[in-house]
Amino acid sequence: MTSLSERLSTRKLKGPESEPVRLTARRIYILPTRHGVLFALVLLVMLFGAINYNNSLGYALTFLLAALGMVTMLHTQHNLAGTVLHSQTCAPVFAGQNANFPICLDAPAGTARYAIAIDSRGFGARFTDVAAGRSAHLPLSVPATVRGRLRPGRFKVYSEFPLGLFHAWSWVEFDMSCLVYPRPDDSTLPQTLLSPDPGEALRSTSAGCEDFHGLRSYRPGDSPRQIAWKHAARSDALLTKQFVGGAGRSLWLDWEQLDGLMAEARLSRLTRWVLDCHRAGYRYGLRLPGRIVEADSGEMHKRQCLEMLALFEIGSSRRSRTTAAA
Amino acid sequence: MIRRRADFSLSPAKTLWLLLAQALVIAPHAPRLPMWITLTSIAIAVWRYLASRWQWRAPGRVTRILLLALALAGVLASYGTVFGRDAGVALLVLALSLKLLELTQLRDVMLYLFLGYFLITTSFLYSQSMALAGYMLVVVLILTSALMVVSHPAREARIRPRLRQSASLLLQALPVALLLFLLFPRVSGPLWNLPKDAHHGITGLSDSMSPGSISQLSRSDAVAFRVDFDGEPPANAELYWRGPVLSHYNGETWSAAPPRRLRRSEFHVQPPGVHYTVTLEPHNRLWLFALDVPGSIPNDSYLTQDYQLLARQRVEQRLRYSVTSYLKHTEGARLSHYERRVALQLPAGENPLTRALAQRLRASSGNDAGLVAAVLRMFRQQPFVYTLNPPLLPTHNGADAFLFNTRRGFCEHYASAFVLIMRDAGIPARVVTGYQGGQYNPIGGYLIVRQSDAHAWTEIWLRGRGWVRVDPTAAVAPSRVEVGIEAALPNEAPGGLVFSHNSLLRHVALMWDSLNNGWNQWVLGYDNNRQTRLWSQLGLGNASWQWLASALALTVSGALIVLFGYLTLRQRGANRDRVRDAYQRFCRKLERRGLARAAQEGPLDYVRRVTRARPELAGRARRITQLYIALRYGPTPNAAQLHKLRGLIRRFRVRRVRR
Amino acid sequence: MHPLTQAIVKQACKIIVGKEQQIRQSLACLLARGHLLIEDIPGMGKTTLAHLLARLLGLQFNRIQFTSDLLPSDIIGAAIYDRAGATFSFHPGPIFTQLLLADEINRTTPKTQSALLEAMEEHQVTTEGETRTLPEPFFVIATQNPAYHAGTFPLPESQLDRFLMRIQLGYPDRWAERVLLQGKDRRLLIDELEPCAEPAELVALQLEVEKVHASDALLDYLQSLVEHTRRNPRYNTGLSPRASLALLHSARAWAFMEGRHQIVPEDLQAVLPAVVTHRLRHDTTAADDGATIAAELLEEVPIP
Repeated sequence: MTSLSERLSTRKLKGPESEPVRLTARRIYILPTRHGVLFALVLLVMLFGAINYNNSLGYALTFLLAALGMVTMLHTQHNLAGTVLHSQTCAPVFAGQNANFPICLDAPAGTARYAIAIDSRGFGARFTDVAAGRSAHLPLSVPATVRGRLRPGRFKVYSEFPLGLFHAWSWVEFDMSCLVYPRPDDSTLPQTLLSPDPGEALRSTSAGCEDFHGLRSYRPGDSPRQIAWKHAARSDALLTKQFVGGAGRSLWLDWEQLDGLMAEARLSRLTRWVLDCHRAGYRYGLRLPGRIVEADSGEMHKRQCLEMLALFEIGSSRRSRTTAAA
Repeated sequence: MIRRRADFSLSPAKTLWLLLAQALVIAPHAPRLPMWITLTSIAIAVWRYLASRWQWRAPGRVTRILLLALALAGVLASYGTVFGRDAGVALLVLALSLKLLELTQLRDVMLYLFLGYFLITTSFLYSQSMALAGYMLVVVLILTSALMVVSHPAREARIRPRLRQSASLLLQALPVALLLFLLFPRVSGPLWNLPKDAHHGITGLSDSMSPGSISQLSRSDAVAFRVDFDGEPPANAELYWRGPVLSHYNGETWSAAPPRRLRRSEFHVQPPGVHYTVTLEPHNRLWLFALDVPGSIPNDSYLTQDYQLLARQRVEQRLRYSVTSYLKHTEGARLSHYERRVALQLPAGENPLTRALAQRLRASSGNDAGLVAAVLRMFRQQPFVYTLNPPLLPTHNGADAFLFNTRRGFCEHYASAFVLIMRDAGIPARVVTGYQGGQYNPIGGYLIVRQSDAHAWTEIWLRGRGWVRVDPTAAVAPSRVEVGIEAALPNEAPGGLVFSHNSLLRHVALMWDSLNNGWNQWVLGYDNNRQTRLWSQLGLGNASWQWLASALALTVSGALIVLFGYLTLRQRGANRDRVRDAYQRFCRKLERRGLARAAQEGPLDYVRRVTRARPELAGRARRITQLYIALRYGPTPNAAQLHKLRGLIRRFRVRRVRR
Repeated sequence: MHPLTQAIVKQACKIIVGKEQQIRQSLACLLARGHLLIEDIPGMGKTTLAHLLARLLGLQFNRIQFTSDLLPSDIIGAAIYDRAGATFSFHPGPIFTQLLLADEINRTTPKTQSALLEAMEEHQVTTEGETRTLPEPFFVIATQNPAYHAGTFPLPESQLDRFLMRIQLGYPDRWAERVLLQGKDRRLLIDELEPCAEPAELVALQLEVEKVHASDALLDYLQSLVEHTRRNPRYNTGLSPRASLALLHSARAWAFMEGRHQIVPEDLQAVLPAVVTHRLRHDTTAADDGATIAAELLEEVPIP
């Protein structure tokens, strides 16, 4: 069955379609499932029994079930037909993870949809019901194997509702992509990077104008400007405010520091460092050949750095059909 | 809501629904099955439910094979065989239950449910009553919704919407099923030999009669056959449905002589004949019932020397046949020596008092007819009682005890005593069993003959007149023959409700029977004969097998196309926007003249562009646009405006520009 | 067109020549009870426009010139110790007015910016545990220099969202500039103008605007536009539900100004560039030209 459906699917390769896509009757294929074939066999046996015993009710039941099968076929097709699909932006992932493209299914007003599935090849299908006139989301899971822009290519949307006797499906391809960051490797931030100059400690307990980090008990010598006076008024204990991040100091994550490594390995390493720096709240910049991200911190900055790593030496328009290879 | 397909599991709610379906399927079989099978099924069902509840593991392959072997052995022990109808059903029920042990994949559950469908068919081998059919329709609905519930990947079982949906599916399937039922080419006769136990346990007349056998039968109000007369039915007193003719008496039991085929017709009939069609319930015997005497007989049947109508094969299916009978007839032929000897046979030394009575009457009456009259007069005048509950007679000299002692009896007592007196007096006589009368159903316009109408009467040979029917019961209880058994036995009504004098209940009962008759005629009796008859009635002549098949294919696909159209329209109807449709027509008219509206162009911008390009259209285009905006974007659109808009658009013409 | 709004637009066009679209948009913004952000390089007539609107609508007018050393209390007001009464008394800041011109809002620190923006959002100020409501109607017209100008603190996206519309004035065309050069000083001209409306009338108009009908078909269109920004990878972040509401309110006001009782797609299209461009982050860092973003969006979404 699968091979046949695959073969049918190769007939029309049109490339991405403009969204939203309405599943018209013309683009829906339908074939009996294994259960459908089994059902037909049981009916055949029942028919022979009815003929042999000349049993009228046996005939009647056989015919009723046969008619039910035929009607079911139409319903399976109609359960899919008229559904409107469109995509939404996919959150970036790291290579090695699965990219989940959110596919939005709209049921037309008046008729609900049941058990509609999106098949992400080899990743199991996920199902959802859609109430009439409402929308539902299904993730299209695609393994992200290499960094860059991942285009999921064609995917199959199908349904076997109501009785699981027929399999109706349609192929859809959207112009959507997901940013795949390089896979971070297992290294840690090297000490040399942290304090190339021993005189300049990265974590500064005294420097005062960066992000508030927490309170600790007062030690003689702390600057009065850093004492939490409001707190002291309430509790008698002197506490000192702690701040994080060296104001004038920032880390440089540099491609050139990683001699002796292959390009992809360097990117993996840098990705790890970016993540670690971000987690530790450092201020950091990223330097790649020909490109640079000025030192900064924060979520947006992290995303900018990761994006640069993901798309390094890859044109953003390049179509990397990783799924075809997978 | 989102579920992966791979991790199949049967939630307790779904399991419960499956088990309900199974219980309903097995229930009609349960009274016929040995107790241990029913108990096993219940035990496995309970285990299944608990297993799905507490996540118990399914038994391994070895256990399952062992259980299957045990089941086989059990069936063998209970039935002595594993083949045949009863053992086969028992095996199927066990197989269905054992399948519950291994519902690990969706495929298993599907197979299980398909097996359920199959088990329904086996129920129909035992009974095809309307009630069972109605019950099974409900079971099909539940099985189908169970199929829908398990094939839907959601974990929770939403029973009520699924029930509604499967009911709607079945309803939509009904027309197609009807077409298949009517048009699918029927084959006559079995494809392979039926097992011996295919037809068992059917009540009806037998080929022997002893005191009490017919009164026993009379207590059943089961239908023996139904008769459809062409024209008016004859009077009740003339309705003697001839069955087995019993000539041999052993002192207690009357039995039939082996049938001999009638070589030549020995009677002269007087037209007009009575034409009628009998729908005989299967009784697993050879005889067919007809009024005396059949002039034309159905195919596959023949008349015997004693005018019994016999089929060539046992009546195992409900049988329809048409007969023309001639109620007025005379016999010219003489009795052969053999026949005379059979008709005078008496066991030696039995019933001396009867013999003496016969000889006394013989002496006192002049001729044979006088003797008959004398005996009947005796029955009429002396205190003989017609009753359904006569006292028990001794095995020896039973007739003596009846005539001189008890004097209470049912038709078989009177017929038996009368024939003995005749034989003792030297007149050839025999007992005829069958049915007398019947109940006319004015709703369906047919006659119902029940087992309670079973009757025994006699025939005597009168020189020059041949066999003459004499019904001694008529002498004791004339109303039995003229009206029916319920009039003759007002206080011991045999059949229950059917014989009640309550007219409403009687009416309902008649309606019910009429319905049953229709069911038998059109559903159960629909075979290849009826199929061809239907075709010829529709004026299609002798439709061939191929013709039927292509008609079937055509009509079924037609019905499916209609359904497809209905579904599509329903979907489209929900999304249709008449206002937008009308406006799009307007846009198309302009588009044909090169003024297509861009997808993102609003109506005002569009009309502005149109008026710039074609100033002569300005007025109409603006009015249309204004109406459209009011309808589509305005707060209170109304039907009158829509009507106006459509009119305007219909009349809107864009002339071609000459360049 | 609605007679009153038409009169206002006509008067305004005499002063600021050749910018009718922007004048209409800003008027629509006020009618929809929104705050307006005017972004352009200095000297394009931003302040003049604010002045003009205040004058024409007869609104009480205050102006704050934002500088880097401006403090929140400079805007909101402060409690000052009254020696005579030995109590603190609140001295309201310039924000207690009907129309506030916040000039060059991005020249001040985020702290001060947010003080203003909170007041804008809630129509009230809270100082020293006391809440004071601002006069009704209350508008803020903020002007800002483009982000790449030196010495600016660009407003964060979350703050930008509080402005219903952002408009750009742009250079005048040759003919308009000629009129400007030949005519009198704009400020003087404004002072000569008679107000077209009173604040009470403006409030009444605002109530009228809310009654403009938005049909299902129109909301479908609006949602398609918004959803398009959410699923198209070109936009870093799609439009928020607040943006959808802003679009709806602005379109209502626009339809009202056009003299309609219902919104048509053209109304939505007219206000869309002013409403969405400051809320959308374009993926491509280079093109931040609002007109392009809006045009692309409108081009790609068909009217259902």
